[in-house]
Amino acid sequence: MIVLDKVDKVFPGSTIPAVNQISFQIDEGNICVFVGPSGCGKTTILRMINRLVEPTGGEIYIKGKKVSDKEVNPDELRREIGYVIQQIGLMPHRTVEQNVALVPRLLKWPEEKISLRVKELLETVGLDAEEVSRKYPYQLSGGMMQRVGVARALAADPPIMLMDEPFGAVDPIVRGRLQDEFLRLQKALKKTICFVTHDINEAIKMGDHIVIMNKGELVQHGTPMEILCNPANYFVKDLIGTDREIKLLELTKSEELVTRTKNIPEQIIEKDSFILAIDPVQRALEIMMKKNSDLVGVRDGAEMIGTISWEDIKKHINMISGDN
Amino acid sequence: MDFEMDRFMIALLDRSPPHALEHLQLVLIPVVVAFIIAFTAAVLLTRERYVKYTDRVMTVFNIGQTIPPLAVIAVFFPFLGLGREPALFALTIYALLPIARNTLAGLKGVPGDVKDAARGMGMTEWEMLFKVEIPLSMPVVMAGIKISVVLTSGTAALGALVGGGGMGAVIFAGIDFFRAELIVAGTLIIGVIAITLDRLLTLIDDMLTPPHMKA
Amino acid sequence: MTPLSLALALFWFSNFYDEYLGFIQFIIRRWDRVIEYTFNHFSLVLTVMFFSLILWISVGLIISRYEKLASTAFGIGNILFVIPSISLFGIFITIPMLGLGRTSAALALILYAMMPMIRNVYRGIKSVEWPILDAARGMGMSAKQILFQIQIPIAWPIIFAGIRVTVVMITGIATVATFIGERNLGRFIHHGIARESADMIIAGAVIVSVIAILLDFVLGKIEYKITSPGLRRV
Ligand SMILES: Nc1ncnc2c1ncn2[C@@H]1O[C@H](COP(=O)(O)OP(=O)(O)OP(=O)(O)O)[C@@H](O)[C@H]1O
Ligand SMILES: [Mg+2]
Repeated sequence: MIVLDKVDKVFPGSTIPAVNQISFQIDEGNICVFVGPSGCGKTTILRMINRLVEPTGGEIYIKGKKVSDKEVNPDELRREIGYVIQQIGLMPHRTVEQNVALVPRLLKWPEEKISLRVKELLETVGLDAEEVSRKYPYQLSGGMMQRVGVARALAADPPIMLMDEPFGAVDPIVRGRLQDEFLRLQKALKKTICFVTHDINEAIKMGDHIVIMNKGELVQHGTPMEILCNPANYFVKDLIGTDREIKLLELTKSEELVTRTKNIPEQIIEKDSFILAIDPVQRALEIMMKKNSDLVGVRDGAEMIGTISWEDIKKHINMISGDN
Repeated sequence: MDFEMDRFMIALLDRSPPHALEHLQLVLIPVVVAFIIAFTAAVLLTRERYVKYTDRVMTVFNIGQTIPPLAVIAVFFPFLGLGREPALFALTIYALLPIARNTLAGLKGVPGDVKDAARGMGMTEWEMLFKVEIPLSMPVVMAGIKISVVLTSGTAALGALVGGGGMGAVIFAGIDFFRAELIVAGTLIIGVIAITLDRLLTLIDDMLTPPHMKA
Repeated sequence: MTPLSLALALFWFSNFYDEYLGFIQFIIRRWDRVIEYTFNHFSLVLTVMFFSLILWISVGLIISRYEKLASTAFGIGNILFVIPSISLFGIFITIPMLGLGRTSAALALILYAMMPMIRNVYRGIKSVEWPILDAARGMGMSAKQILFQIQIPIAWPIIFAGIRVTVVMITGIATVATFIGERNLGRFIHHGIARESADMIIAGAVIVSVIAILLDFVLGKIEYKITSPGLRRV
């Protein structure tokens, strides 16, 4: 869907490239998360995709078409790409409703359709449409502004979304909730999303694909699993931090570890220590601790399909992180 | 425009100089007097006891500034008659407003926490005024004085109408006889006076402004 | 209040009226003149504002886009500001094509309008913070849409404040145009001084002052009304 081919950006007046020879691709319907320290070039990459910044080298393709093509009108390109900017940038002289309706109005949608859409979107991002529609940005909290920013970017239902630290201004609890809501939404919407963060946990949670950057260079890219299992170097290891194993367990579904058996031990049924097949393995650990046992049952819906033991989990951890 | 260089040089070098000196007085005396009055008033108005009136006084100043200069110059004539003093008096009133406005705004703008900190260090009211409030509000006060100087230099040209002399005498003669040379010469000298005073004030401002507040 | 004190108050007031409020009698007596001069005054101010709005708002928009032109424009504006109004009127009448009359008066006033107008347009446009422009561009608004839907509306209260200052200032300075033949409210002051008529001078001064203050007040109310509540911030 989106392909970057040896893309460079050197800003005028600077000698060091802000983005250096970056190539990767994002598949349709995926969330690609860019992660890395401040100033590593994340925002610059997003802005090159919608041509707010012109690359000094390389090519960017969207659906096989060069974005730098002379036939592509940048304004029209941008209306097809939702953009949540890092600084939020709501229009101070317009109400929340008018902010969200901005792109649909540019596209001259009929007013009834716009008003339905705005309501739906505000509810989607967890705001009370009745209450906030007529408010002005200065009357909102930072977190509410960010939600409006996300709603605005989603408004015209663009197939591609660029989201620059969209949940940066909220506390960790609200952020967690917003992430969950967003993932749920994405299951239905299946958009192609470029998501910037400098929080590795957010990257692992949100990303189908992660691009790790440092000082304008691409350090490593791959699925969260690949990155957690095989960090390319110390920079990536440091970025992941010390609780790598726990993060891995969050990513592993229970059904991958389950020992299939029809023989479910009495004690499990007695204590009701079950997890779902789609739960992360992490959940199995929690249940073990809570019920004080080293075995949990796994269910797929109502059907019991097998068990996971503490030994299974240990073996799994040793296997995936065995190389260091 | 028939503009004769000879006539212009005569206007500039022979006719203007005595008026230039008068004009300088018509600017300097009102501005200095206005400064003293406005400054004292602003300091008083920002003291604890009177601070509740500052907003209302500010409104009066703002309204005052909308009054046309010609009206200010002329309105004292019926009471004070023709002459230099009436002109000086009217110009002082005119010069007063921008200075008063800015001085008041400047003193009012000194952040409360800075004042609290100064009080906390055991400064007396007087020390606080001279060591904290006045230095911190200096840039705004200076800006007010500069505006006042430029406005008064121009308005002083109307002083000639009420017998105050100054460059206005030359300019009005130019208008009466359609002589551009006189008007341009008079204007040039007013410009030089305004710009020189403005530059001088900038120099003083640079010396007075605490280093950390310079842009 | 006793009848005596009422009588005393009336007596005092009639004395005061005779001595200091003669200008009211003057205004009543010369009402047709007041109307004529007021009409002339405002037709001049309106002409000047019409051209100033078109000219200086355009110039303001241009200089807010081209930084280099901005310093030149402000330089010129500052020089104009130092020229006394009476000189500017005087210089224009000595230009043969113009002479005594409305054109000279209008041109001089339009030049005076330059500084407050372009300064506020420039300031207003610059008051739009970059993330807002960035978001607008990112959503695919064209340069024209950004100018008309984002920049000008956000700048509008500041631009209007500039218009307000200009109108009040021009109304005041227009009085001076009486010396180059305008028959406007400045004329009472002008002729009052020449004839040493206190009533006439005070009448003139009071009328122009009241008009200036009223204009400022009314425009101030309008300024508040047209400001988007989102920009008002308490
Ligand atoms: N318009 C610009 N002009 C010049 N340099 C720029 C510009 N925008 C970004 N840069 C530089 O490019 C580099 C990368 O910036 P970028 O904004 O992409 O970083 P980032 O990864 O998004 O950082 P952050 O996490 O702080 O948002 C930085 O060194 C920055 O100073
Ligand atoms: Mg960034």
